[in-house]
Amino acid sequence: MRKTVIFLIGFACVVLFYFTFSSAAKVFRSDWQLPRTSAKDQAQYRLVLITQELGTPFWDKVGAGAIEEARKTGASIEVWGSYGKNQEDFLKKIEIAIDSRVDGIIVQGLDTDEFKSLTKIKAAFYGIPIITVANDVPMADSLRRTYVGSNQFLAGQMIARQLIADMGKSGTVILLGDSRSEYYQTQRLSGIDDVLKDYPNVHKQYAVTPDSREEVISATQDLMNRTPDVNAFVAVNANFADAMIQEIGRRSRVEPYHIYSFDDSKDTLKLLKKGKIDGMIEQSPETMGKVSVSLMIKWLSGKMVPLDTDGYLTDIRMLKGSDVR
Amino acid sequence: MNSIQKKIWALAAVVLFIMVAIWITLTYYNQKTQDQYNDILQRYLRMNEVTTASQMTVTALNNYLQTPNKLNLAQLDWSKEQIRKARLEVIDLRNADNDFALTNYMNLIDSLVETTDRSLMFRSEKETEDSEKAFSEATRISKYISDMTLTLLDTELKTYDRFYRGIIEQSTEMKKMGIWLLLLITFLLMLFTYWFSLSITNPVQKLTQAAKELSRGRFDLQIEVQSNDEISFLAKMFDRMRININNLISEIQQKAQLENELQQSKLLLQESQLRSLQSQINPHFLFNTLDTLSKKAYLEGSEETSDLLASVAGLLRYNLKRLDRSVTLYDETKVLKMYMEIQKTRYTDRLRFLVSIDESCLYVQIPGLTLQPIIENAVIHAIEPSEDGGTIWFRVTDGGDRVTIEIEDDGPGMPELKIMQILKEYPVETEGHSTGIGFSNVVKRLRLFYAEEQIIDIESFPGGGTKVILNIPKTRAVEKVDKASDRG
Repeated sequence: MRKTVIFLIGFACVVLFYFTFSSAAKVFRSDWQLPRTSAKDQAQYRLVLITQELGTPFWDKVGAGAIEEARKTGASIEVWGSYGKNQEDFLKKIEIAIDSRVDGIIVQGLDTDEFKSLTKIKAAFYGIPIITVANDVPMADSLRRTYVGSNQFLAGQMIARQLIADMGKSGTVILLGDSRSEYYQTQRLSGIDDVLKDYPNVHKQYAVTPDSREEVISATQDLMNRTPDVNAFVAVNANFADAMIQEIGRRSRVEPYHIYSFDDSKDTLKLLKKGKIDGMIEQSPETMGKVSVSLMIKWLSGKMVPLDTDGYLTDIRMLKGSDVR
Repeated sequence: MNSIQKKIWALAAVVLFIMVAIWITLTYYNQKTQDQYNDILQRYLRMNEVTTASQMTVTALNNYLQTPNKLNLAQLDWSKEQIRKARLEVIDLRNADNDFALTNYMNLIDSLVETTDRSLMFRSEKETEDSEKAFSEATRISKYISDMTLTLLDTELKTYDRFYRGIIEQSTEMKKMGIWLLLLITFLLMLFTYWFSLSITNPVQKLTQAAKELSRGRFDLQIEVQSNDEISFLAKMFDRMRININNLISEIQQKAQLENELQQSKLLLQESQLRSLQSQINPHFLFNTLDTLSKKAYLEGSEETSDLLASVAGLLRYNLKRLDRSVTLYDETKVLKMYMEIQKTRYTDRLRFLVSIDESCLYVQIPGLTLQPIIENAVIHAIEPSEDGGTIWFRVTDGGDRVTIEIEDDGPGMPELKIMQILKEYPVETEGHSTGIGFSNVVKRLRLFYAEEQIIDIESFPGGGTKVILNIPKTRAVEKVDKASDRG
């Protein structure tokens, strides 16, 4: 009896020892330390990539490319920006970047006066180099060092050629653009114009609209009312494609129409896969990110001065519906 | 010695040690946690300080631009100093996650200071418009700083999210540990106390058991207590007491046995005394008669008979003396002569008795009736069976510190076996003794009297006679024996 009691108590002691010590080990674990100041040296260059369209697959790829390149070269980079083309926020980010004295700013061009004043006056005042990426703003207006991205004029030409190839040499095409008439859009339009001017039987109807969904829908409605014999649509601003197609689909079947757009929107690839779009211009966002960062670093380190002000163009190609299905 | 007190002290020390250990650990842990909390708070406070300082700077700048006086300028300078200090403190907050943002943050602060300075400069140059512009920029930067502070705080929260959760987990774990520890200590103490109390009560129990056994009268069980404290000391003492009691008891038993024997021998003695008293009546009557006969014979002219009768009476009287009383050799030889006269009367020419005595040796002490039985023995064995009779020599010679008494006969001698028997004090059946005292009795008494073995020797050859030699010391080695026998 007595031995059993002793044994039980001893056993309880052993069990309690185990629990106490495992508990104590948890409590006094040494990964308690606050993450201390990183020992690694500060990166040589601090770069910022600023875009208006965070969260779109296109800009995610640009960001990924830029970050990868920065990691390779030992620069530190952060991707800032606004969501859904919030310009105010976007401009504020640029101003913060300038005030934060980053070493270089890689920015999605925005063809507005505020943008230009920031880049031209403030950034230049502090001597911060700016490279535009994907969307260009002419150097004269922005004092950018260079442009990295697609040749938007060429993109417009490719779209137009595809349109002619699909539609034939006669027909009516609606071009839907942004009322802000940004530089890259005008470039695209002029590219389209450049091709279409050789085909007098192709009528083009160009319309601009503010970039809210309702307004895109109403603009589309209006255009279709005015030109019922329309054969093709080109969403010059890729963000309009979804709303436009929705409106077209409400009226009739989408398939007979030839619809084209660009890839710098989160919807276009999906639409292409669904067969709603007949073709889109695919750009090389990752290359854009990489090239822009590498150019910026080259410029900063003085290895390549000056940069080619005409810009460094990245590949574009026509992606047809048949390619992705 | 490991005393009970020491044991109690040890228990108390163990408990105290556990308590102190726990206290120290908890205090240390608490301190560590406290420090960490302070660190965390410090981080947040520092960031917040920057915001406050930047806002203060902007307010001060505004005040100064509105009313440019010395007081406001001083205020502005002070707030600029504040923001510089805050900037320096912020440097410490750098880590891998907020590296970029923090650099931006610090540059923003620099920009703010710079813009403020620019605004002041324009102001001093009376370029109000530029000054206003710079002020609005400063305001914006201040706002950015606030925003950036929030961003940093956010990053901070993200970075330290696991860490904070760890803290919470640890504090819950701490509670658990407290309970485990309490239980553990409770059980440990239970075990300890049990062992401790056992180490005290066990020996006591054994002792109790032993006492019970003792009280039942079992003194032969050894008391064993396997501890080394006071109890074991007590047990040892107890055991010694038991052994002593045991010894005493056996001693008492021995004594009782002895006493019993003594009692028996006393009874025997009394009986024998009674017998001797009884037997004394006849001898006295016999002496008187013999005396009367002796006188009568003398009166009737028979002197020889008269002397013979006187000898017989003297011999009888001597014999009736106590055997255990010592006498001088002189007395003994006198009696011997008397005896031999009687024997001569009996054996006439057949008995030749030759005496040579060194008179100077006659004072030595000798137990009574020792020589007479030896002579008697010689007469019986050497004279009686021989028709021609025989010669008996009696010599007393001085041998230095000893007196040698020789009694020699020329009889047929004694067989070896018999000599052995006599010397070994075996009772030998002999017949026809006048005194009733055997040879071996004599040997025994001689040895007892002188407390020596080599007091008597017998030389004998078959057909060559027998020689009994007594070597009697002039001074007795053991006076005590004499006194004791005197008293008896």
